[in-house]
Amino acid sequence: MSESVQSYVPGADEDPASTQHDVYTTPMAKLARALEIFIPGYMFGKSWGIANEHTVELFRAEFPTFLIDLCEGIKAFVGVEGENLGRLVSTSTGAVVGFMVIFVLAAVMHVVMADRRYIDSVRFAAVTLIPLAVMNGTLSHVLQTTLENFTSSTVESITTSALDAPWQFFYMFSAFYLLGIWMLGRRTGVKRYRRYSLVGVGVGFLALYLASGLMIMPDEWEILLPQLMETMQQTGGH
Amino acid sequence: MADLIQTVDVTDGQKRRRAAKPKSEARKKLAPEITSQRFIDLNKYALIAGLAIYLAGIFTPIKTMQIGVLFIFWAGFISLFHQKFFFGRLKLASLNWLLAFAVTCYSYDMPITSAETDNGFLVWAITSAICLIPFALLFTGWTKTRPSKKKRLRIVNFRIIVQTSLFMLWAFVTAWAMIRDDNGYALMYWAAFHVLTTAILPFLAGRVMCGWICPNATFQDGLLKFMDYKRIIPTLPKWIDEQSNSAAMNVSGPVDTRAPFMPATLLLAWIPMFLCETVFDLTKEAWYPVAFMFGLYILSVMMPWRKLCTHFCWLSSYRGIASHTSLWRIRFNPSSCMDCKTCPPEDNCPFYINISKQDNEMPATCCTCFTCVETCPFPKVLTYTRDKDEKARLREEAR
Repeated sequence: MSESVQSYVPGADEDPASTQHDVYTTPMAKLARALEIFIPGYMFGKSWGIANEHTVELFRAEFPTFLIDLCEGIKAFVGVEGENLGRLVSTSTGAVVGFMVIFVLAAVMHVVMADRRYIDSVRFAAVTLIPLAVMNGTLSHVLQTTLENFTSSTVESITTSALDAPWQFFYMFSAFYLLGIWMLGRRTGVKRYRRYSLVGVGVGFLALYLASGLMIMPDEWEILLPQLMETMQQTGGH
Repeated sequence: MADLIQTVDVTDGQKRRRAAKPKSEARKKLAPEITSQRFIDLNKYALIAGLAIYLAGIFTPIKTMQIGVLFIFWAGFISLFHQKFFFGRLKLASLNWLLAFAVTCYSYDMPITSAETDNGFLVWAITSAICLIPFALLFTGWTKTRPSKKKRLRIVNFRIIVQTSLFMLWAFVTAWAMIRDDNGYALMYWAAFHVLTTAILPFLAGRVMCGWICPNATFQDGLLKFMDYKRIIPTLPKWIDEQSNSAAMNVSGPVDTRAPFMPATLLLAWIPMFLCETVFDLTKEAWYPVAFMFGLYILSVMMPWRKLCTHFCWLSSYRGIASHTSLWRIRFNPSSCMDCKTCPPEDNCPFYINISKQDNEMPATCCTCFTCVETCPFPKVLTYTRDKDEKARLREEAR
C-alpha cells in the first residue's frame, strides 16, 4: 500500500460532530453515496418499465398492477418514439417508480434505526434491496423467455415456467434480502434489537409486495393464457 | 578426475556431491542456469507468445486456434502463480509445458477453425514451438536454489486452479464465438457468469468474482503482476487513488454511518455498461462481451496492477455494491494484530485495502482471494472464523 493512502485515513473533512471516532471520508464521497442510491434504485425499478404492448398484460399479472400502470402512464406522458431511446425511457420510468418505493421504505427504516441521517437510511434501504432488484430482473427475464418460447413449447411447460419457477426465485431472493438487512445493519452499527425490527420491516415489505400483486396466480393465468395464445396467433409468435 | 575427487575432503557436502558427479558438472556448463528472474521471464514470455497466437487466431484472417493454446495458458499461469514452488523444481515445472505440448499434438486434427481457412499445420507448429521451448529450457536448466518447502494455503491453491480453469473456459468460448461465428457457448458462459456473480455469490461471500472468476483478474494476477514495464498511466491522481479507503467499515463500536461503501469512480463505471446492455440491447451480440472484456484487458495493461479493478471496472461496480450484504467475509482480529512496520497483507492486497484499519472483518471491496490470510506472518490475525475474544467483544458492543 502506498504511503499516501495509509496516511489519508482517517481524513475527516466534514461533519465535525462525528470526529470522536475514525471517519472514513474519502474523495468524492458524496458522489459515491449518491450512486449507492442511484444504481440499486435503478436496477430495482427498471423491470417494471420495460413492458411493451405485447407483454404489458403479462407484466401486470407478474408485478403489482398499479406499478406497471404508473410506469405506462409516465411513458405515455413522455411519449418518446424510437427503439433505443424508447428503451432508455422505459427503464428510466421504472426506475423513477423504484426510487419512490425506496424513499418510502427508507422512511420506515429510518424511524426504526433512528441513528443516522435520512439520506443514509435511503442508502441502507437501496443497498439491501439489491437481491429484490435481481429478483425483479430475473422475473422479467423469465417472462420474456416464456414469450419467446411460446409457440415452440407445450402449455404445461409454459405454465410451469410462468407460475411455478418464479416462486423459487422469490424464496431465494427473499432469503438474501432479509439476510442482507441483518448483515448490513450489523456492519453499519445498528443495535441488535433494532436489527430485529429492521428484519420485521423487510418481512412486511415482502408481504406488501406480494399482496399488491407480485407473482402470477393460477386464477390470473387461466384468464391470461387464452389471451396470450390469441395474441401469439395474431402476431405469428413475435 | 583424481584432482576432483581429492577436493572431496573439504567439509562442504554440496561440493562433495558435485565432485562425485562430474557428468552433471559438464551438463551444467552446457545448460543454462535458471535464476528466479529467468524462471519468471521464461514462463512470462511463453505465456505472452501464447496470448499473441490466441489473439492472432481470433482477430486476424488466420481464424484458427489449436486447443493446445488453452493449455499454454494453463502452463503459464500455473507456473507463474506458483513460481516459488516451481522454481527449484524445474523438471516438474517443465512438465506443465510438456502437458501443453501433448494436448497440442493430441488435438492436432481438431482445432477451432472456420470452414474457409486452412492454417491448421502452421498454427499447430507455432503452438508446439511455444510449448517446447520453455519445456526444453526448464528440463535441461539447473538452479542452485533448493526447492521451497513452504506450503501454500489449500484455499489459495484451489483458487488458482479455479481462476486458471475459468480463464481457459473464457478463452475457449470467446475463440469459438469469434472463429466459428457461433455465440451459443459464449451466451451460456456469460449467462452462468452473470447468475453466479450477480444473483448468488455476492450475497454469500462478497466480491468473489474479482478474486476467483473474472478472466481479467487472472490475467493481471498471473501475468501483469510480474511485468515491470513502464505503464502508460503509472500512477493515479490522489483523488482517485485514495478512494480505496472507502468501505473501511466497522462491524462494531463507533461506526461512521456516512462512510461510502464503494469508490465513486468504480460506481460511475457502471453507467456505460448499463447503457450498452439495456439501451442498445447488446447482450445477445457475440462481439459485445468480447469488446467489454478486451476493453478491460487493454486498460489493465495501461495501469498499475489491479488499479483498474479497484477504481474503474464496469463489471464489478454493481456486483461490488451487492456484496455489502454478504453473509461471510474474511475475519480480521485486531487484538492479535502486531502492528508491524510493513504489513505483508496490505502490500499484497489486490484492492489496496488498509487492512489494519478494519474492525473485525474485511470490507466489501475485498475480493476474497485469501492472499492476506496467506501472507500474514501471524496465524490468528486474518482468519476464516472469528476469534473467541473478538466474538465476545462484538456481543458486548451489540447490546
